[in-house]
Amino acid sequence: MLFPPDFLTRLEYLSILSKRVFRGQLLAQRRTVQMGSGIEFSDHREYSPGDDFRYLDWNIYARHGDLLLKRFQEEQDLHVYLMLDCSKSMGFGNPAKFDLARQVVAALAYIALADLDRINLMAFSDTIIDEFPLTRGKARILPLMKFLENLEVTGESTSISRGVQGLVHRSGRSGMTVVVSDLFDESGFQTGLDQLRYRRYDGHVVQIHDRKEENPPMLGDVEMVDVETDSNRKVTVTEKNIRQYKKLFQEHQGSVREYCRNYGMGCTQTPSHVPFDDLVMNMMMRAAGHAPAKSGTGG
Amino acid sequence: MSLAVPSALAFALVALPIIVFYILKVRLRQVPVSTNMFWKQIFEEKPPRSIWQKFRHLLSLLVQLLLLGLMVFALADPYFSWQAMKARRIVLVVDNSASMKATDVSPTRFNAAIERAIELADGLRFRDEMAIVLAGSRPDVVLGMSGHIPTLKESLRSIEVSDNPTRLDSAIALGQQLIGDHPNGEVVVLTDGCADIPQNDTLPLGGSAQPGRVRGDTSTDEANADANNEIAKTNEELSEILPARSLSSRPSQREGDIAVGDTKLSWQVFASEASNVGITQFQVRRSLIDMLGYEVLASVKNASDNAIKCRLEITLSDSVVDVIPLELKPGELWSRSLEKTSREGGILSATLTKIRGDADEEVEDEKPTAEDLEKLAQLNQLSSDDFAWAILPEQKVQNVLIVTEGNLFLRKVFEANPLVNVTTVTEMPESFPTDTLVVLHRLVPKVLPPGDVFVVDPIEDCDQWSIGKSIENPIVTEIDTKSDLMTHVRLDNVLLPEARSITFKNDPKILAGTISKEAVYAQINRPSGKCLLLSVDLDKSDLAFRTTFPIMVTNALNWFVESSGELRESSKTGDLVSWPIDSKTFAGGAMILQTPARVETEIAAFHGVKASEMKQNEMTIGPFEQSGVWAIGSQFMTKVAQGKEPVEFVSNIAVNIASERETDLRPTEAMLERSNESTSLSGWFGKPVWYYLIAAAAVLFVAEWLLHQRRVLS
Repeated sequence: MLFPPDFLTRLEYLSILSKRVFRGQLLAQRRTVQMGSGIEFSDHREYSPGDDFRYLDWNIYARHGDLLLKRFQEEQDLHVYLMLDCSKSMGFGNPAKFDLARQVVAALAYIALADLDRINLMAFSDTIIDEFPLTRGKARILPLMKFLENLEVTGESTSISRGVQGLVHRSGRSGMTVVVSDLFDESGFQTGLDQLRYRRYDGHVVQIHDRKEENPPMLGDVEMVDVETDSNRKVTVTEKNIRQYKKLFQEHQGSVREYCRNYGMGCTQTPSHVPFDDLVMNMMMRAAGHAPAKSGTGG
Repeated sequence: MSLAVPSALAFALVALPIIVFYILKVRLRQVPVSTNMFWKQIFEEKPPRSIWQKFRHLLSLLVQLLLLGLMVFALADPYFSWQAMKARRIVLVVDNSASMKATDVSPTRFNAAIERAIELADGLRFRDEMAIVLAGSRPDVVLGMSGHIPTLKESLRSIEVSDNPTRLDSAIALGQQLIGDHPNGEVVVLTDGCADIPQNDTLPLGGSAQPGRVRGDTSTDEANADANNEIAKTNEELSEILPARSLSSRPSQREGDIAVGDTKLSWQVFASEASNVGITQFQVRRSLIDMLGYEVLASVKNASDNAIKCRLEITLSDSVVDVIPLELKPGELWSRSLEKTSREGGILSATLTKIRGDADEEVEDEKPTAEDLEKLAQLNQLSSDDFAWAILPEQKVQNVLIVTEGNLFLRKVFEANPLVNVTTVTEMPESFPTDTLVVLHRLVPKVLPPGDVFVVDPIEDCDQWSIGKSIENPIVTEIDTKSDLMTHVRLDNVLLPEARSITFKNDPKILAGTISKEAVYAQINRPSGKCLLLSVDLDKSDLAFRTTFPIMVTNALNWFVESSGELRESSKTGDLVSWPIDSKTFAGGAMILQTPARVETEIAAFHGVKASEMKQNEMTIGPFEQSGVWAIGSQFMTKVAQGKEPVEFVSNIAVNIASERETDLRPTEAMLERSNESTSLSGWFGKPVWYYLIAAAAVLFVAEWLLHQRRVLS
């Protein structure tokens, strides 16, 4: 069962815990800082023709003769965009990575909704598959969970960039974006995440992998079946190949961590057998600057 | 080439599933992977670099098919026509004599010979046959002709070394008989060469070998029926497998081999110029001058090229009797006769101790170091002949009651024997004690007392005889020389002063009689006890008779106690011994023989047979294959549940190696010259074809395993 009967109880527990841990540092408690028609002064900029005269700083013009426009900080509610990878590779493993991904998405959505933030859920694989529109209020968690339950792994490949493109096109403004995926994007996960950066989305990556992906239990003559493309590949797997695979896998994981660290994105890497609440708790502890509560996550 | 089991080729059908499995190998085990992005890098970055990698699966199939082919061919048991034509019949003659225990060849000569014999057995080809003959005291067929190598090897491993002397002639002859007129026969003798090499023309080629390893070998004893049946069975088997022997001679097949008759004879000698010192003789006998004394004859031989010092320690029932220091020159045989005295008797044992080189000093009361033991092992390569035993029976004191009116000569004759306790009375007693020899001189009761009675010069009638007239100057003309009572007694043509004519009521056994058939000395048969009668008047006897009479009394005393007075000599290993069967001891029970290693064997059974019904007086025991003290005992069944009572041992037999040839471990030059390692069994290519096929299959198996490993482990 994806969402057991006590799932909501555990979500509530996480929500309360998050408020104690962050004390207003997370999500809706931390407002977006945008320039606009707020009342709190931010800075000046030079006047350009067509600017509203009401915002000209006449005092400065009087003293120095320079036309400068006053800028004010506008406070808005945080928009949390959750991007869930629904490619077939997410259905791999026991338990399937997709199960943990949906549970994590539900947990983060609940915490955000409880903090009066707006959430938007995008299900993608090689393109946007489905969308849970921007919504607000704790009461929306049940429709969201139903939405998640109805989701299935589909698509022939994983394309984060297409998913991000869909998000960008649909969302009216930037916000915090959590990408939950295995990041097995043959075109490269960096392309999609770059687009998030360029659009000034505050990004966080939750990368899920299965133990069999980390240590593939195969040796000898086998026929590999790619669960995404259903393509076969007859190979003889030697111990040397296994060693090479492990090396490549670890390099891939390392490249994800390296990318997130370089561009200030949050990163959580976890095997699929970790309980979702432990994982979310660990994410929050990291965000709050505490030491990680459990191994298996990073970022 | 032919196939012994062509039907085994049907196993070639196993190739079909192999090929099917190879084809099905295209449908490999499916393993789902979440992404191919890593595997692509691995497999596409390193494409097959050579044709070898492309074809290694096909090569694997070919190797598997070849492996199967070899195994199927091996199961079909192929053989060449020349193998069938030249099938060999080989007899291994294994020497297990005492000298084979020597340690100059590691671990021992015998073990080295057995290992070599096993190697030879391994070299048998298809249709070859091999038999194993043991060159013991009597040749023994350990295993008849067989081509089954495991059975041959098991039989070889079951052979034990003995203390027997080396007797190769009869074993070789038996081997030749087993081979018969087979064109490719060969007798391979595995020995240490410590024997005289048998001459071709003196071998008992046509003689019938007696396979005699059965102890308690008797011809008539019912109890030994099983043993005799075994002998008969063995002889029947031999007669079945021994074809009529062709005596045509044929030149030897190879230089260095000996052709005996038409059979090739080859030698495998396991020996070196080993040093040894040993006891070659140890016998004991009664002293001729002392009734309580005995003489020991001991011989020690230094069978080495070095001077040796040692001690000969003689003990009697663990009490030291004598210690003789010996300094033996190279090859010296030392012999000495020793006079000792003992009434109690016991087991007399001789041991060589403190064996050392001529230049080495004797170290007293110190534990020998490893270096000392190494030196000792070099000087004395065989320890079995450092010990010898002899049996000295106890001499019992005999009670004698002399009833005489007074004859000092008669009394002194008995009193002169230290083993006699003499009581003299002048009047006839009313009753006679038991366990006492009653000597009646002149006076005789109406009825002879029960038990042992020795009557001298009776003057009255009794229940056994009537006294007749006196005989003047009788001449003894008839002597029973076979009787123990007349040992060392010579009365032929002796003129006696006076005797009496006796009329016996039962026919006696006359030991000495006159020309007129009158009994002078007679053994009277009566159920109540033993009785001897001497009718000579002692008072009138002359010097000749007075010299003889003490000897007659000594013989009579021994006869009454059922002892001949002579010691039983120590036997040699491999000998057979005639043993008297004492009806009192063994009637109703079983005769048990105990080896020096305390292993008991029933050699005769007289269950349900009464003493009076026992017809057999003597049986042959042996051959004794181990030196030491063997024991003979009796065992009776208990009345409850047919169990057996503990064995009661009544006699001992001392068995010694006592052989100069066995002590001398140096092989004869003639034997060494004729020794050759190259028998027809030697060589790698003596094995059957299937052996090589299996070996090749094993190689291919390893190759396939490596191919598989190369695929998996890279």
